[in-house]
Amino acid sequence: MEDIIICRCEEVTLQHITETATKYKCSAREVKLRTRAGMGFCGGRTCRPAIDTALATITGETPGHDIPLKVSPPIRPVSLAVLGGKSNE
Amino acid sequence: MNSNRIIDHPVLGSFEDRPIIRFTFDGKEYEGFQGETIAAALLANGVRTLRVHEESGSPRGIYCNIGHCFECRVTVNNQSNTRACMTEIKEHMRIESGKLQPAPLKSEAGSAHLPRTYAAFAEKHPTRKDGDLDV
Ligand code: FES
Repeated sequence: MEDIIICRCEEVTLQHITETATKYKCSAREVKLRTRAGMGFCGGRTCRPAIDTALATITGETPGHDIPLKVSPPIRPVSLAVLGGKSNE
Repeated sequence: MNSNRIIDHPVLGSFEDRPIIRFTFDGKEYEGFQGETIAAALLANGVRTLRVHEESGSPRGIYCNIGHCFECRVTVNNQSNTRACMTEIKEHMRIESGKLQPAPLKSEAGSAHLPRTYAAFAEKHPTRKDGDLDV
């Protein structure tokens, strides 16, 4: 159970998140910065609800907008080539 | 060729024959049907591992299959980080799986013991202050 991977991009386990949140009594955002959960290729768009839920259980933090886990636009990762006008083919 | 495909579906109907597309994955030749994605065509050929995690080497394949998670990214005709679940196969497509990458900061040369967080650094060097450069 504890070696469930929460963040697949950075391979962060529930155990690692639990230990970090317990040891540092920290927010979801700090857990992200300490473990890299949610900082991988997909931009945290896949595991964010799981991190939020884990933190709600561990520290009681409810997901809010004050110090959020931080999700920034764009909605999906795009290459610089696409931003520069190249077609997405 | 159809043993791994649903050829008769209660909602989608029956699978009509479509032109066969040939492509390669890691140098090996495969066949799929026109309109299939790379992920679908490879799955139908029994290939589930599309890449390995760059750092740990653990195998990865389709996860969301809707273009959201990028777990299925492969290199298509030299274009890296292309989602296999969103890209249609084309004739003579050259697809390469994602490989293990060197991780210099995690070698056995002792660098694995370097502090990775400010907290770990402070634990290791209790007398150092912010801005001390000769670490
Ligand atoms: S499987 Fe998630 S993006 Fe392709």
